[in-house]
Amino acid sequence: MSTTASPPTRPPTDSASSLRGFWSNVRQAPRRILRSAFRTGAPTTDRTRSNFVFGNVFLHLHAVRTHRWSLRWTTTFGLGIAGVSAFLITLLTGVLLMFYYKPYPDVAYESIKDIHFVVPTGQFIRNLHRWAANVMVVVVILHMARAFYTAAYRRPREFNWLIGMGLLVVTLALSFTGYLLPWDQLAYWAITIGANIAQSPREITDALGVTDSFDPGGFQRQLLLGSDVVGEEALIRFYVLHVMLLPLALAMLMAVHFWRIRKDGGLAKPADVDRRLGPPPPDTYPVFTEAPQKTYQLAAIVRGRTPAVGQSPENTVPSMPHLFYAEAGVLMLTILVCLGLALLADAPLKELANPNVPENPAKAPWYFLGLQELVSFSAFMGGIGIPTLVVLGLGLIPYLDRETAGTGEWFGGPGGWKLVARAALFGLAAALLVEAVAIRFGWFREWFPDVPQLVITFINPGTILALLYGLYSVWLVKRYASTRAGAMGLFTCCLCGFVVLTVIGTYFRGPNWVFYWSPAQWPMH
Amino acid sequence: MNAQPAHNGSRLAPEPVPRRDFLGLSAVWAALSALAFAAIGAMRLPKAAVLSSPSKKYRVSLPESLPPGTPFVPPGRSVALFKDDQGVYAVSTICTHLGCIVKTLPEGFECPCHGSQFARDGAVTKGPAPRALAWHKVSVAGGQVVVDEGETVPAGTRVKL
Amino acid sequence: MNKNKYLLLVSSLGVLVLLIAAAVQENVLKDWRRIQKSARTEGGPIPVHLRQVVVPALKAADRCVSCHVGMAPGEQGVIGPPVTAAHKPVVHDPADYGCTVCHAGQGRATEKADAHGEVHFWPEPMIPLRYAYAGCGSCHTHIRVPDRATLGRGQKLVERYDCLACHRIDGRGGTIRPGAAVAVEAPDLSRAGASGYDAGWYASHLQKHQTAQTGAWRTSFAPIQDDDRRAIEVYLSSRVGAPELVEAKALFHSLGCRGCHKVGGVGGDDGPDLTRVGENDPGRIDFSAVPGAPTLANWFAEHFRSPAKVVPGSQMPALGLTEPQIDLLTFYMFSLRRSEYPESYWPKDRVRAERFGEREFSTDGPTLYATFCAACHGPAGEGMRYPGMPAFPAVMNPDFLAVATDDFLRASIHRGRPGRRMPAWGEKEGGLRPEEIDTLVKYLRRSGGGEPPATRPAEPRWVKADPADGRRLYDAYCAGCHGTRGQGAEGTALSNPVFLATADDTYLVETVSRGRRGTSMEGFSYSSPVHPALTRAEIEAIVAYIRTWEKTP
Repeated sequence: MSTTASPPTRPPTDSASSLRGFWSNVRQAPRRILRSAFRTGAPTTDRTRSNFVFGNVFLHLHAVRTHRWSLRWTTTFGLGIAGVSAFLITLLTGVLLMFYYKPYPDVAYESIKDIHFVVPTGQFIRNLHRWAANVMVVVVILHMARAFYTAAYRRPREFNWLIGMGLLVVTLALSFTGYLLPWDQLAYWAITIGANIAQSPREITDALGVTDSFDPGGFQRQLLLGSDVVGEEALIRFYVLHVMLLPLALAMLMAVHFWRIRKDGGLAKPADVDRRLGPPPPDTYPVFTEAPQKTYQLAAIVRGRTPAVGQSPENTVPSMPHLFYAEAGVLMLTILVCLGLALLADAPLKELANPNVPENPAKAPWYFLGLQELVSFSAFMGGIGIPTLVVLGLGLIPYLDRETAGTGEWFGGPGGWKLVARAALFGLAAALLVEAVAIRFGWFREWFPDVPQLVITFINPGTILALLYGLYSVWLVKRYASTRAGAMGLFTCCLCGFVVLTVIGTYFRGPNWVFYWSPAQWPMH
Repeated sequence: MNAQPAHNGSRLAPEPVPRRDFLGLSAVWAALSALAFAAIGAMRLPKAAVLSSPSKKYRVSLPESLPPGTPFVPPGRSVALFKDDQGVYAVSTICTHLGCIVKTLPEGFECPCHGSQFARDGAVTKGPAPRALAWHKVSVAGGQVVVDEGETVPAGTRVKL
Repeated sequence: MNKNKYLLLVSSLGVLVLLIAAAVQENVLKDWRRIQKSARTEGGPIPVHLRQVVVPALKAADRCVSCHVGMAPGEQGVIGPPVTAAHKPVVHDPADYGCTVCHAGQGRATEKADAHGEVHFWPEPMIPLRYAYAGCGSCHTHIRVPDRATLGRGQKLVERYDCLACHRIDGRGGTIRPGAAVAVEAPDLSRAGASGYDAGWYASHLQKHQTAQTGAWRTSFAPIQDDDRRAIEVYLSSRVGAPELVEAKALFHSLGCRGCHKVGGVGGDDGPDLTRVGENDPGRIDFSAVPGAPTLANWFAEHFRSPAKVVPGSQMPALGLTEPQIDLLTFYMFSLRRSEYPESYWPKDRVRAERFGEREFSTDGPTLYATFCAACHGPAGEGMRYPGMPAFPAVMNPDFLAVATDDFLRASIHRGRPGRRMPAWGEKEGGLRPEEIDTLVKYLRRSGGGEPPATRPAEPRWVKADPADGRRLYDAYCAGCHGTRGQGAEGTALSNPVFLATADDTYLVETVSRGRRGTSMEGFSYSSPVHPALTRAEIEAIVAYIRTWEKTP
């Protein structure tokens, strides 16, 4: 929006005046640079505020107006933005760490030591990187739960739910690849286990006797490690994945994720959102009072019901500044939490990786300990089979649940929070029971030493737990005559199972993956 | 915004925005200063507190018979040692122009990169080098010569063996 | 909607506060900053920055000198708290070798707990200051260290012959003589073993003594007997500037530890190889039976007090050591390090030990016996009984030596007793060399008194008797101790193939008839309350029966 027309080009009359013009241009250059950078001037009016949003490359993914429902804290708890913020923190701190990190065995360890001990702010930034990564994993999982429990995955947002699952997987992969980089004992053995999980399809191919001709497990492992051992090839692969490919993938998926939020009509809202919100507060400036029948033309390329079409225009507020205050607030809160954690606890660094002496217990990062617990029953089912089932099931939910009741509401749908509470109870109880049996009495191998591996692969505590959850949710579908009810049950059960397995793996497993009530009882190795 | 009265005006009129939003402004400035502080802190990281290079002070065993005026370059070091009847001295072999390692010649030094030439005492005789080659501090300890590349001494300083 | 603004304001202020806290922690509260600020030189305060010693060849990047400023290369005259003091003068300049090479610990760290290794995950904590000289073991392999008795004898002789009147050894002696014409001290001999000494010292000393009229050459020097002179020279070769470490190694060479343990590839195989035991990671050791702090020093000490308590199932007997001995042995354990450094950094002694095969122990008879045999056969060859193990024979028993030929002794040491605790010292890897076995045999002969037995019949297997008679007698009188098939119990294993192959009939017959005084083996040619006297023929029958095991073990 240029209010000053460019000065008419006059032929120079004399050198003095042309020089004056030149000097005047020089004097005005700083102001012009500023004005050309912010094309629309100060965002003081509704119009300039709108321009501020869609005229800015960083902000234009936002709608120019935001629904009041979206700004309620309880709608999202800011989890999506918190996840993005944690990613930004890991991105910046990660780039800083790359100044000193050297991806070569042993040297890598020494460079982390240097970062830890002599690089100015190095230890703090490494702590921040680690804690932000942890916060990111937690927040992403919670964000997914939020989207699920508010039924935000429903039409037209099904595809964005899939993108979100992609983001979860990439987030976990980023965490996992980052784990090897310090090249300490913790890293080395966590990655050894991870690589062998990738190889676990051999459990099936071995049992079928086809490994020699068809070996997807061995292929996966070699693809991951670039060799048959965790060595320098593995380190450089993990490094490339961690600093290059996965962040790129994450950024692209994030871009699509945000774009789809916008194009799918903003955040999911209950059908009777206007009634729930009540009349707009008296300070709200009227929006569409004079042209209620007509929407703006952009609506044509936006699917579904947009916030301002045909309903409740008064319940929107300009994104600038209201939405941005909220987003900046969540960003700063996330930074605050990460800073606090980084000040409280140092990122661990164990002794240099020693390929001859395994850690005992060798534990993966905490968010994989539930998986490791499953792996302790069967490498293939725990590491690949059940996770694949869970991912498939979660991905299918929006395509199976075609109901509309309860969209945008917490625990919306038949059954409501009572169903979720009962499912949580069932999920916790079933997981604890199965674990208790396995811990107290062992499993087939202890009972019938000659049992074929294939039997254990398909019938083990992990698969039984998955089966229990599946049956329970099928029963819920029948009981409430609603797919949504079954989905809520299944999701809640899986979440509870994840928590139980993770807690057991984190706090109650000692050397040789034996159950102990506390680490104080561990025998020394 | 709460202080703002209710409106019944037209949407075509610009929305009045409060002139002074102290809360909002202080929040924005607090956020900006926190981020600026973090950026300043992070900027400290790229400058290393310690360099990983080995100590610049090292011992050298001079050959028993080193003719006066013949340079002796200890393997792997960028310094030329000379011995004459007044004592021992060390001349840096790092060109003062752009840091190439100069070649030792009977008549002095020559830089292979841009053709600077130096006399035997390090003075520039030709080429773009702005300064004479540095003389490093030499001391004698237990029959060995200790060279300190970290310290420069005025040209002509010699140490008796 | 003001609550979002409050959120932004409050979190931003919180971030600011935490960042300031982090900045203070980083820039003010670091220990090394505080220490460097409190230190100064005469020229004024010292610059506050991280200091380090970098030696790429030794992979050392030691920041210890950030706190121990006085030890940093090029720092002189630092005045400040004790931690900033200069290193005491040592042979190896820290500027050339770094700190962790000798002291271990985590050189890259800049916080005290991390650097000294008192953190959970650091596998190589610092060697305790009390045992600081154990750090020599990172590179050095002190060679030709005798047993403690030999060492002590040398030391006593040095004192008795008044060598300390002129020479200084390990900080003692060598005082300047008041009133002497020339107040010159004789050379300091504290490192004579490392730097070498004049082989013709005795001749030149004697000459000076004979030509001098007055003064120290007259009063303090006198002719020395050959035997004493050799003992003094053994003592001198062990002077390497670390007297207590040599003392500790000498103790290790006095207790027969190498009978079961290998160090540097030499020793028995019953116990763990101790070559690098000083580098053990405390994080991987069971401290459940060790009182006090979980440090390697406490573990070693408690283990020496009662091995089986600290390591369940350990075969090592409790040696009944005194606390000073335990302390010395702990010291020696810490010195067993041998870090992998480039060979250009290897000292002479290590090259000689690892490349030229020179022995770490002195190869005289007493030291060899004390180093390899004393633990089982007793310090004076009197035999040993440890709970839960068969008795070990008394190898210096005069009755034994009177019937055992040198060839038998040599063969027994060389081939051992397969299946029993006695290793085949001449055949096993890390065993003894032929000349060392000879030395041992000579030492046994000398210590046990008596001459080698008289000449034997040309045919070693001359016994011609009926094994059936022998069997009856054996079952009656011998099986109780030696087992029904000679497998050995309280007594030795008679059916052992090497024993049967090396012992001739004379030895067997004589041993049965004379017995061994001072042990449980009685002489059977005399009657006793538990057995009648056996005739020569009966004894030969027993020997004939024993011989049958040679064919059917």
